[in-house]
Amino acid sequence: MNAEQTASEDKIVTTVCNSHCGGICDFKVHVRDGKIIRIEAVPEEDGRPGMCLRGHAYRQRVYSPDRLLHPLKRTGPRGSGEFARISWDEALETVAGEMQRIKAAYGNASMLHFCSMCDPHVLHHVLAFHSLLCGFGGYTAPWGYISCEGNAFAEGVTFGKSSRIGYTPHKPDEYQEARLIVMWGWNPATTEMGSGVSLSLARAREKGARIVAVDPRYTDSAAAFASQWIPIRPGTDAAAMLAMAYVIIDENLQDRHFIDEHTHGFDKFKEYVLGREDGVAKTPRWAEPITGVQAETLADLAREYAREKPALLGSSFGPGRSAYGEQYHRMAAALETITGNLRLDRYAPKPKDFRFLPPFPFQPNPVEKEAPLRWNAIPSRGPSVNSSARVNVSSFANAILEGKAGGYPADYKFLWLSNTNYLNQLGNINKAVKAFKKLEFILVTEQFMTATAKFADIVLPVCTFLERCDLMPPLNVFSSKRRNFTVLSKAIEPLGESRSQLAICQALAVKLGISGYPDQSDEELVRQMVAMVSANEKLKTEGTPKKEPAASTKPQLRTPSGKIELSSGIAEKMNHPDIPAVPKYIETWESLNDPLAAAYPLQLISPHFKRRAHSQFDNLPWLRELQPQAVSINSRDAEARGITEEDMVRVFNDRGEVRIPARVTERIMPGVVALPQGAWYTPDENGIDHGGSANVLTRSITSPGGALPSHTALVQVERV
Amino acid sequence: MQLGLYIDQNRCMGCFACIVACKDWHDVPAGPASWIRLKIMEKGAYPDLLVAFLPTACWHCESPECVSVCPAEAIAKRDEDGIVTVDRDVCLGRDDCGACLEACPYDAPQFGAEENAKMQKCDLCVDRWAQAKKPVCVSSCPVQALDAGPMDELRAKYGDVREAEGFTCLAPLAPSVRFKPKENAASLDLRRIDVFPRSG
Repeated sequence: MNAEQTASEDKIVTTVCNSHCGGICDFKVHVRDGKIIRIEAVPEEDGRPGMCLRGHAYRQRVYSPDRLLHPLKRTGPRGSGEFARISWDEALETVAGEMQRIKAAYGNASMLHFCSMCDPHVLHHVLAFHSLLCGFGGYTAPWGYISCEGNAFAEGVTFGKSSRIGYTPHKPDEYQEARLIVMWGWNPATTEMGSGVSLSLARAREKGARIVAVDPRYTDSAAAFASQWIPIRPGTDAAAMLAMAYVIIDENLQDRHFIDEHTHGFDKFKEYVLGREDGVAKTPRWAEPITGVQAETLADLAREYAREKPALLGSSFGPGRSAYGEQYHRMAAALETITGNLRLDRYAPKPKDFRFLPPFPFQPNPVEKEAPLRWNAIPSRGPSVNSSARVNVSSFANAILEGKAGGYPADYKFLWLSNTNYLNQLGNINKAVKAFKKLEFILVTEQFMTATAKFADIVLPVCTFLERCDLMPPLNVFSSKRRNFTVLSKAIEPLGESRSQLAICQALAVKLGISGYPDQSDEELVRQMVAMVSANEKLKTEGTPKKEPAASTKPQLRTPSGKIELSSGIAEKMNHPDIPAVPKYIETWESLNDPLAAAYPLQLISPHFKRRAHSQFDNLPWLRELQPQAVSINSRDAEARGITEEDMVRVFNDRGEVRIPARVTERIMPGVVALPQGAWYTPDENGIDHGGSANVLTRSITSPGGALPSHTALVQVERV
Repeated sequence: MQLGLYIDQNRCMGCFACIVACKDWHDVPAGPASWIRLKIMEKGAYPDLLVAFLPTACWHCESPECVSVCPAEAIAKRDEDGIVTVDRDVCLGRDDCGACLEACPYDAPQFGAEENAKMQKCDLCVDRWAQAKKPVCVSSCPVQALDAGPMDELRAKYGDVREAEGFTCLAPLAPSVRFKPKENAASLDLRRIDVFPRSG
């Protein structure tokens, strides 16, 4: 569509990468003779590029010798990776036949469909599948953001709405004004590469802001930006924050005016913090043995955070991916609130984002129609996500294995995973393997033979986003460039016999006899959407104008009181000890006080890795040579185990074992080991994983508010 | 005129974008050759740490050793911009010669995995200057830690600091690079240095 010719006759195609990393970067794709020869960033006005190492390596992804280019059917046992090439027609006939058989035998609720956030644009994403499956009578969808359900819950009960679609709620100017920035479990140098956050941090530091990192690891962000590192024990962030709240309240450093004006329930919160509710004052001395942070350090940080205005608390989603991770996010919100550091304009009404465009207007899922709300529903997540017919992502292996007998809404027989390496990315892989083996039919639509795809009965090859057209909706993320719709142009034709997600849904709609499913090409549908947007919203979708809508800054809180709730009416109504009305520290399962710690004395965390976006990009040679997959272990823990750098070690617990080289480092707290998430599970005949997939060791369980507790797992490490 | 690089070591966060951008732009496959590499220096002991990053390429020395030792005259220094280039058709190869590799104290000459690989290295994106673009490492840096330009302009803009954590200026060569070195790095002992890509 908007292609330009360069002097050398190369075609340059503009499109938008959205690889589920928080970046959402514009690509200039150089094409010669129908082949991509390089990919260039599109610099913003201030010269900031919006591309990371993965974006620069995308050409290797497109032309990887591992790309799936033909439909496959399984010929060996599930997980063996033995497949034979078949025709599209045979593949679609098989899938449609199985779908009809299973629907007739067990009903639509027995059919699970999960879609990842890989390349989430408008046409080739969840709505295409949702629309198809609703036309088929419905399906069981998951609920729970893997990344940030803890935050969604906390914001839902505290503010009645969520401010975060992107990773940081702060705007660029907030960094420039800040005198103190606390990076709490937050490593934007690795996790927010395309967003410009790191540049903002660098500039803030140069303007004199003091930056403190609170993290079990001395991350690259800590190395680049922080002047102080406070190592903290995983899962204890809420305790450290409570101790900070204690100092603030005890020393009368709170912002009385802000509290009076904007909050509800401060007195109840204060009763808990001071120990009048349960007899335990949440002092820094109380928190020290829990968190591993010296009391004085916590007290000093509390005073600094309360006094230095403005102070910015960068509370990352990472610590929230723990047991009771909701409480950490609630405490972060409470600290921002009682010090008056909270920017209320974060909760002002936002310009609507127009994701429900034709050809996929909103459509309710028939399976959810009659279902009541789940017990821990929060209004901000909406009726569909709150439906008790859904399965929380972190429990999906349990749901398949246990079904109705285990209290889940249905018995599950069919699983369709779209660009979704869920076997790899959710808790307890060995349990998930059992669950996958129990299913009657598994369909995987994918670009590569992932750990998950190996379990499929039929694998359908999906093209990359450079091989199709789509539209990127405006998004309210840190990056300022997505105020308007942006057209994604096709750079090259789909490789081999691969097809777009939409084309796959269209072909299945024909086989299943679903009427009314859009049958135009993606190019034609994009044209229609552009016309509709232009006509209705008068927004330009091609070209560069960036008009800031005149937005109201008056907050709109949807809590029962209409205020920030430090004692939550929504949580109180749930009447559950693990979802208290005020934010509390609740000790996690598998903490160091757990009897399990005798056998498994190390806390495992599975942080993000620069060369992957979750499990994507793990197979690209340009990236693999930059970061070897290894388990980071503090030199003291390594020495006690006779482990030296690059020794092969076994990381294990009752759930499984990973064999991987050790990285002996000072950059992690003693007692904690880190295995970067997303490496592809590669089991040997004994089920020992040699790929280094952290989820072999994590638990398949949901935190009470829906958080996925991937950073809550005890392990042992030994030299092989 | 001499073109060169500026590196703000307090901004570099070790994100590797420059390395992969360079490989994509110049079509360098994965393997031992990497025109730009990242040095990571870990100093101190838990919990008092400092980690410094340093992208390292060819510094296009004003008096390049590689040029003087090359028996085949495959390496040349361009008059117009001081960029040191290599003619791979003329290079004798690593196994048959390897003189430049021996001579360069900065490991700038790079060789692929193939037998008697011909030398390749950073050319400061000669082709991009011709299109009025800075080198791809500079334009790919998400924190603007890198800049490139005529040395007198870089000196005027950023000062004349010639050393950084992990970099020693060998004055007789006159490497064309200036720095803002990592702050507070002097007080801690160096514990380890890693260079990525590993095979590079």
